[in-house]
Amino acid sequence: MSETVIDGQTHPARVTRRGTVLPYLLSLPALLVCIGILVPFFTAAYYSLEAYNMAFPAGRHFVGIGNYIDLFTSSDFLHTIAVSMIYMGASVILELLLGLGIAMLLRERTRINNIISVALLLPLMVAPVIASLIWKLMTNPNFGVYAWIVNGLGFTGFRWASDPSTAMFSVVLIDIWVNTPFIMILLLAGLRSLPTQPFEAARLDGVPARFVFFRITLPMLMPYIITATLFRLLSAIQEFSIVYGMTQGGPGNALMVFQVRAYVDFYQNTNVGRSAAILMVLWAITFVLSKLFVNQWHKMRERNHAGA
Amino acid sequence: MTDKIKDLAADFVNGNISRRDFARRAGALGVGAAAVNFALGGAVTQAMAADFNWQAHKGKKLRLLLNKHPYADAMIADLAHFKAMTGIDVEYDIFPEDVYFDKVTAALSSHSNRYDVLMTGAYQTWQYGPARWLVDMNEYLKDSSKTAPNYDFNGIIENLRKSDAWSGKPGEALGSKNAKQWAIPLGFELYNISYNKRIFDKLKLEPPKNLPDMIEIGTKITKDAGGAYGVSVRGSRSWATIHPGYLSAYTNYGAKDFDVSAKGMKSVVNSAQSKEMNKLWVEMIQKCGPKNWATYTWYEVAQDLGAGRCGMIYDANIIGFFENGPGNKESGHIGYAPFVPNPKMDHSTSNVWIWSLAMSSFSHQKDAAWFFIQWASSKNFGIFGGVKKQLVDPVRETTWKDPAFKARLDKNYPGFYSAFEKSLPDAKIYFTPQPLFFNVTTEWAAALQRMVAKEVSVDEGLDKLAAHIDHEMKSAGI
Amino acid sequence: MPVHDRSLRLLRGAALTLIVLFFMFPIFWIAVMSLQTNSQILSLPPKLVFSPTLSNYIALITGRLSTSVGQLNIAFMHNLFNSFLLSSCSVVLALILGVPAAYAFARFKFRLGEDMAFTLLSLKFAPPLLVLLPLSLEFQQIGLDNTYAGLIWIYQLITLPLILWIVRGYFEDVSPDIENAYRVDGHSWFRGFVKIAIPLAGPGIAAAGLLSFIFAWNNFIFALVLASGSKQPVTVGALAFVTASGIQYGQIAAAVVLSIIPTFAIALYAQRWLVEGLSLGAVKG
Repeated sequence: MSETVIDGQTHPARVTRRGTVLPYLLSLPALLVCIGILVPFFTAAYYSLEAYNMAFPAGRHFVGIGNYIDLFTSSDFLHTIAVSMIYMGASVILELLLGLGIAMLLRERTRINNIISVALLLPLMVAPVIASLIWKLMTNPNFGVYAWIVNGLGFTGFRWASDPSTAMFSVVLIDIWVNTPFIMILLLAGLRSLPTQPFEAARLDGVPARFVFFRITLPMLMPYIITATLFRLLSAIQEFSIVYGMTQGGPGNALMVFQVRAYVDFYQNTNVGRSAAILMVLWAITFVLSKLFVNQWHKMRERNHAGA
Repeated sequence: MTDKIKDLAADFVNGNISRRDFARRAGALGVGAAAVNFALGGAVTQAMAADFNWQAHKGKKLRLLLNKHPYADAMIADLAHFKAMTGIDVEYDIFPEDVYFDKVTAALSSHSNRYDVLMTGAYQTWQYGPARWLVDMNEYLKDSSKTAPNYDFNGIIENLRKSDAWSGKPGEALGSKNAKQWAIPLGFELYNISYNKRIFDKLKLEPPKNLPDMIEIGTKITKDAGGAYGVSVRGSRSWATIHPGYLSAYTNYGAKDFDVSAKGMKSVVNSAQSKEMNKLWVEMIQKCGPKNWATYTWYEVAQDLGAGRCGMIYDANIIGFFENGPGNKESGHIGYAPFVPNPKMDHSTSNVWIWSLAMSSFSHQKDAAWFFIQWASSKNFGIFGGVKKQLVDPVRETTWKDPAFKARLDKNYPGFYSAFEKSLPDAKIYFTPQPLFFNVTTEWAAALQRMVAKEVSVDEGLDKLAAHIDHEMKSAGI
Repeated sequence: MPVHDRSLRLLRGAALTLIVLFFMFPIFWIAVMSLQTNSQILSLPPKLVFSPTLSNYIALITGRLSTSVGQLNIAFMHNLFNSFLLSSCSVVLALILGVPAAYAFARFKFRLGEDMAFTLLSLKFAPPLLVLLPLSLEFQQIGLDNTYAGLIWIYQLITLPLILWIVRGYFEDVSPDIENAYRVDGHSWFRGFVKIAIPLAGPGIAAAGLLSFIFAWNNFIFALVLASGSKQPVTVGALAFVTASGIQYGQIAAAVVLSIIPTFAIALYAQRWLVEGLSLGAVKG
């Protein structure tokens, strides 16, 4: 068995054992369940190639990539892509920064730090759809406590989710509230599991804090950052409940992100073909993103395991 | 329930004694309110049962799909009597309104035979009907062996009956000769003004006479009422924003949604009359509407009225009814007024929303389902619901003329009855029926949101909307 | 330098206070609202001094609510039960399926291994509606319409990828030496797996299980599209408080409090392992 030794520590390597049927046996049940779920995926893919509207059952016919051409030439859909990207980018970046900051602050294993880190998990336990309802009430200019506070601070006329220019801000804020704890806990776990020697050595050598952070902490933390980012990116671009609960995609089209648009197209406009096409495009984007990240993750792990 | 009470109830139903006598004697028998309800419901159900074999489908089981609404509550409260009369067992699934219609779409589109009867509005039948998911109930109405002789379908307000019937041809008027009866009315709402008497009295205001007047009064309230704003209307990105007060005012200004000709349907939301009305409507929201207007649904409008946060609403008259009830801050202070938005018009043209019952094409118990629909839309149930429950805005003239019903309203909701009476003639559905109704009206709401937010001018917003609608209709082949 | 240290500590304290305020305030507010009546909630300025009432909780637990529009039946306790059943069964199933698979991917380098791992991860990025919408059209044919089994199966979309991903990472960093020694002693690999590998990976499994439980519990869209009537969890059930006579914020708040309690209790119990279990590159220093 090959091992690598760094700083006197032994790092385990994966066992290469060819020709046994065991790994397949172990992973097959999971795969079988997964395949059952893939069947509707292919059904949806087929629907996306049809002009299929539930209100016109007689008019259903095959159109190949017709739906896709319609989508990419419609400004509404391009707007959906833009809005989804903005939502995804804004929430994930802000959550990462905030989560990292909080994790750094809570790094030491003190009693109070532990209490705070568990308490901060509470927002994660409120279902996003309900968080949206509660924030809707809190930002209601007639009764909402947040609206009252913001008004008191002098920002009268701040319209939260009912104005296109501030709607995105409002839902991203809710998303940050709900999801930062997830990133925080992941990064905290990472921070606490880092080896102490490099940091002690740096302290003894009088290395400035900034250097330590960027050259030592961050690189070692990368696998965690990548894991957190991957999961959050995938969730954010597919966000449904927060946006739907708050404005159903409005005001105007300000928040028509992918899944909200697909949901509305399916249930209100009963346009199955177009709804399926929108979801396929979403899937393609997430597929590419995941591949990128997973590759990056593997590289990180190899590097960490193989030593500096 | 003893025979004495049953006899007493039967006496009342047959018109032998007055309501007051009945209540007095029931009290003397030591019967509580719930039992009185029960006795009354039972007696009327029995009266119905005469002359027709209601037990024809005894032993069958029905399942209803219901929206969480006081009208559904009224049906549920009296289910025991239906079961007693027909021997049919009834179960139901109930969903909150936010997701109700999505559930209906899911159930019907998957051809599920789980539900026999479902609650619906007229607009939904424009989608479900042509998709062949609903039964045309004309076949039942015309069949005297299946319909009780005292059912009196024509006793339901004519505009409502006709609004629930459509031939399926896009653009063809509702209630035409070859219209299919996709749904039977259960309870409805029309749109006029409910206002806060306290605020109006304090500022010495009268209910507005027309839309420009409303803007003026609304602005005054926003300025001087000390915390409340002028006019509450819906604004969420949904069809529900267009169909209440908005469409009533739209029609009053002479605007239509579509021009129907031999060449097909063309959107005329950008007509001159529409632009005139929309400029005023947008101005009203900007000057004296709710600050979070674009997120306002039925619930927010109702909430604001009941909590005294707005001076008036131009929305369903039953909101005014509900918010005047106990448990609300403004209980007892709500006034009602009819509304004619166009200064040049002399009568209102209120749109209506009709909660109705429809029969699923995939039901395995259609005949039994028809019994239920008959019962729930019958004269007697109408009176039960209107007098004892919250089925206000009942669909039958007999209920409206019932003295107990009128007395109840006049006692606790003064002004409601007369406001309703004045708005009733010419109250019907003013949309042009077509299957893309939701697509069109949701985009309409989105366009309205853009106009209010000053993203586009009213003229440009409406022009763009018309072009978009025409494009969608064309792609669907209409 | 002491002065520098002290101001840093002050800054740190201030930052932490702001953060705790931001995240905790809505929770605090929800708890306050759960003790108020609707008309108290719908007032400005917000009331902090009021006479608390337990009526919201009573309404939820007994299942009856009196509003100005009459009596309503609330199925909240049943929804809570559904949430509990669906979430725990999905997590248990995902653990049974996922832990062995994670072990396989971590310990063995086999052909198709990486592809299978990626396929299983792909469950995570299939947009839920992409799977749900066709399913909603066909669930009845498969006979899974309105069944717990059908829902638990679909919930694997939420629970399985997370468990796989985290547990695999954990297995990869746990040394196989002990297992191998155990095996050399003559025990089967299965015993090695059960007696050594799983306990060593305990924290990772616990953490992954807890997070999956939270995400399954919070799920809205799956239940919205596929659950009917009696099988609805609390997330969809919460919409029932949006009634024709107004949104019952008091009950929503009480419902939120009641539904956070189970998950938070589990988190408190498992918190020790939570942080430890999420450490992927567990190189002990």
